[in-house]
Amino acid sequence: MLDAKDIGLQNREKRQGLSIEWGRIGLYAAFLIFALVVILPIYWMVRSSFATSADLHTSPLNYFPPFTFSNFTTLVQQVPFFRYVLNSLTFSITTTILTLVASFLAAYAFARIQFPGSGLILWILLLTMALPDIGTIVPLYRILAGLHLLDTIGGLTLVLGSALTPFTVWVLVSFIKQVPYEIEEAAIMDGATLPQIFIRILLPVTRPGLVTMGLINFINAWNNLLFPLSFAATEASKTLSVSITEVYNGYSPYGKPWELIMTIGVTMVAPVVILILFSQKSIVRGLTGGAVK
Amino acid sequence: MQNVSTNPNIAVKRRSFLPSKNIQRRYLLFVILVAPAFLLRLATSAYPIAQTILLSFTNLDLLKNTNSYIGLQNYANMPKNPSVTGSVSFTIIYVLASTVLNLVVGMGIAQLLNANFRGRWFARTINLIPWAIPTIVAGYVFRWLLDDKFGLIPVWVQAFTGAHWIVFINPNASRLAVILVQVWKDAPFMAVIFLAGMQGVPLDLYEAARVDGANAWQRFWNITIPMIKPLVITMGIFRLIWSLASFDLVYGLTQGAPGVSTSVLALQIFQQGIDFFKFGFASSLSVVLLILVGIVGLIALRLYRRADIAY
Repeated sequence: MLDAKDIGLQNREKRQGLSIEWGRIGLYAAFLIFALVVILPIYWMVRSSFATSADLHTSPLNYFPPFTFSNFTTLVQQVPFFRYVLNSLTFSITTTILTLVASFLAAYAFARIQFPGSGLILWILLLTMALPDIGTIVPLYRILAGLHLLDTIGGLTLVLGSALTPFTVWVLVSFIKQVPYEIEEAAIMDGATLPQIFIRILLPVTRPGLVTMGLINFINAWNNLLFPLSFAATEASKTLSVSITEVYNGYSPYGKPWELIMTIGVTMVAPVVILILFSQKSIVRGLTGGAVK
Repeated sequence: MQNVSTNPNIAVKRRSFLPSKNIQRRYLLFVILVAPAFLLRLATSAYPIAQTILLSFTNLDLLKNTNSYIGLQNYANMPKNPSVTGSVSFTIIYVLASTVLNLVVGMGIAQLLNANFRGRWFARTINLIPWAIPTIVAGYVFRWLLDDKFGLIPVWVQAFTGAHWIVFINPNASRLAVILVQVWKDAPFMAVIFLAGMQGVPLDLYEAARVDGANAWQRFWNITIPMIKPLVITMGIFRLIWSLASFDLVYGLTQGAPGVSTSVLALQIFQQGIDFFKFGFASSLSVVLLILVGIVGLIALRLYRRADIAY
């Protein structure tokens, strides 16, 4: 015999079971919508880059147009495509190296050396992050012109490397602080010099942090538009991000060569997507390293 | 530094192992190590900002070949210039709307990524894609997706509702497009940060609430939100400042059109300064942008004080 209390309990269990089912369905629905919203634009870009212009302008839309590489060959003929790829790569690598070196040295000092007001200096450095890059382009244009660094990868590296430094310092300080100080102390006792400590001890143990910030800075530089668009004038320093704006702006609003624009888009997106697929954890650690304790 | 002043030897021995035997060498080492980063920032950020402020009082123009001190003339002309007033008003709408939406959507995505379900790894991985791809490319992709004849979105809208969308000739639709694409691009980044914050909330808090009969919404509202509130405020402030300074998306998606309805201050600075070489005027616009950043900073200070966040 079931009494009233038991029935009530059963009903509650049933209700809960039901609500959990609904929760599950809602969860998977949300997941599906999320995945669709993220992936569909990417799919549309990839589809448009491997299709002919005619296949993109059909009604009804052709969702799976025949595959063609012709847009890449067209691009190579019309713009110095490989040169732009090379410039983008060079710019990203030099910027990453400059940022990591400057930031690592500074982060070490902030993490390990007692200096009057070092906390304040770190804060000032971080505060410069809030100064918008766009607000500095006019003076930067004049400074780079004065140094004969306009339209050079070196000039671009200098300004972007500087812009990426504060955040990198911030994250690396916390990485270095996690390294037990006794290791360095022992090395000192054995008579190691500072460069030896950097290369033999700190580099290996802070490698995850350096890799993380290297990836993030590489992606930032690869994606950067403002500085190349402002300071690059010829193929000596124009990057893919400048190239895509030129192909877009070079045509009237009613005849945009979307297949070419999307082809440059795919070229720019492919490396960063590959990077995040292989190092998702590492990147997330860096992104949250500064904001989350 | 109190340690050092009371007992320098102990402090030095404990906190600094460096091969320096005295304080001067230690200080010198600090200066040498910090110098590259500091000089870089000084040369490409602090000094240019000071220059910007000075240039804003001139009519420096490379094409008209003028360069003289004109006091506040640039600023006085702004209210009469529809491109400036239009840009400032859309900048404010854009920054506020995209920040609020970013926080809300970011929180939603973080909840999803924190839930237990098959495919979570996949969701977490693709979540980084919008953050990682170049903003300019995202701008062009959505311009193409919203193409009135051959874009996926208007075609689907027409198929389902019969409405014919021509987004980029309508000021308000264009504004909405800019804001929503911004959210598409950056809410996932918010989600990454919020997810990390949520993972730091002790699980027994949720257990206790569950025992007390709190439902999922109550647990979210009364536990998750208060626990990650400092993070939400910080990310909100960051987002405000980043949005103020960003011009890539508008440059790609609308270039400020139709008219100047989607133009932002950052785009105006770029066009006036780099396209038209009106250095003086562009600098005065930069100063307006700096003032807006400063206002956000003051709000941040107040919020931090009220929320009692120690950093």
